[in-house]
Formats: sequence, structure tokens, C-alpha cells
Amino acid sequence: MEIRRDVFQAIADPTRREIIHLLSRQSLNLNAIADNFQVSRQAISLHIKILVECGLIVIRKQGRERYCEPHFEPLNQVADWVDQYKNFWEGRLDKIGLLLQEMQKKGQKGNKDN
Amino acid sequence: MEKVVQVTRVYPATIAQVWATWTEPELIKRWWGPALFTCPQARIDFREGGVSLVAMQAPEQMGNVVFYSIWEYKKIIPQQRIELIQNLADSAGNKMKPVQLNMPADFPEDVLTVITFKDLGNGKTELTVTEHADFGQMSHFAQLGLEQSLDKMGSIW
Repeated sequence: MEIRRDVFQAIADPTRREIIHLLSRQSLNLNAIADNFQVSRQAISLHIKILVECGLIVIRKQGRERYCEPHFEPLNQVADWVDQYKNFWEGRLDKIGLLLQEMQKKGQKGNKDN
Repeated sequence: MEKVVQVTRVYPATIAQVWATWTEPELIKRWWGPALFTCPQARIDFREGGVSLVAMQAPEQMGNVVFYSIWEYKKIIPQQRIELIQNLADSAGNKMKPVQLNMPADFPEDVLTVITFKDLGNGKTELTVTEHADFGQMSHFAQLGLEQSLDKMGSIW
């Protein structure tokens, strides 16, 4: 499936976030999803279309029903975004390590007897 | 939902030496900031209730822009633990909201940062930095992504 939209855009909308929550518990058909919201079925249908385009929902046909199934792996992109903060600190702690090595070398130079 | 970022290192150094890298301005300037960035300023007021102002400067290819952060020290147990709150700031040390600095709205504010120092013996010290940041919606969805990957291993809804 071609993902034509950005996952961050998908979760930016509160209704779409709520749809994701509902689906995290079980697959639901369109009507069952729409029943949870005040807005029109058309509006929900459009949100689902966006989530499908982002690869977060896959439609499974079962007889006459069309079930929305969650495929949340693309949300790992969000995890990666959060991970960059961890990378900042990894870099800083590396620098502290190098700094400590330098401090110790200087300490040894000036201080033979300790 | 809170996201905890935690990194840890073991250094072949004494606690006193590692502690100094967090309290001495000239040492802080040597490591604060990502690779290629320099730290042109570290105005340190190391005491509970004190606020330090640190700067990181981007390299030329990123416009030499300077980003300021403030560290407000909440708790200090000498040679053991530092708890501080990080925020973005202006050059005068006033706290700024991320959007004022063109950061995304979900960029965390008031980041509680806990730094611990542990003597492992044999001249080794373990340093751990933990950031408690509320990444807003982001961390919750990151969690969902992870759970789904684990669920694929065979649970039935």
C-alpha cells in the first residue's frame, strides 16, 4: 500500500486520534466507528480515508461488511521522533567521556606523586 | 503521558571528577550541545533554587544560531544527585515557550532532568541522565506503535 500522507498529520486531528483508540481495542466496521461520534458518517469516512492513506488502517471485507483493522507500525515513526531526544543525550555523555579522559591526562602531567 | 528518556555511562573516573563536569562552567562548555555545536556561554549558579544559563551555538552551515537553555536546580545532593528543570530561554535567561522560538508545539517544556552519580568502585563512576518530558500526544502514539508490533506476535483481539 502506498503511503501518501504523513503519520504525524494523521494523528494531529483529535477525531482521528479517537478512531485509533477505538481500533486499538478491536476491529470495527464503519458504522460502528461512526456511532461513537456526533459528526456525520461522511466526515468519519473522510477521516478513515486519511488513516488508510497513512497506512494506519487497512480495510478488510467480510461478506458485506468492511472492517477497519489497525496497523499501527507506522506509529513507530513517532517513536523515532521522540528518540532523537535520547540521541542528544547520548552525544553529550560521549563528550563528557572524552572530557574526563583529557582531565585525567592533564592531572597526570602535573602530578607525578599524586 | 510522560516519556522518560534515559541514558547512562560508566566512566573510568572518580565521582568528584564526573561531578565537576556538571558544576564547573569551563567544563560544562566542553560538552553541552550536540556534535558540531559549540557552547559559547555557561553562566552557572549551582545551588538549590539557582538558575544556570547555558548556550549552544549552531555551526556556520546552520547560521551560527544560538539557543539558550536555563537549568533551575530543584535538588542537589552533593556527589550523588542533581535534579533540575530545563527550559528554552532567551539570552537574558527568561523562560521562553517553544513556539516563540519556532519549535514545534509539542516540544517539551519544564523538562525535569535527574542526574545521578554512582561509585562502582575500582575508580569507576556510573552517570545516569533521565529526562521526564511530556511529549504531549506523541509519546502515547509511540507507545501504541510499539504495542501493535508486540501484538502481532499472536494475540487475538
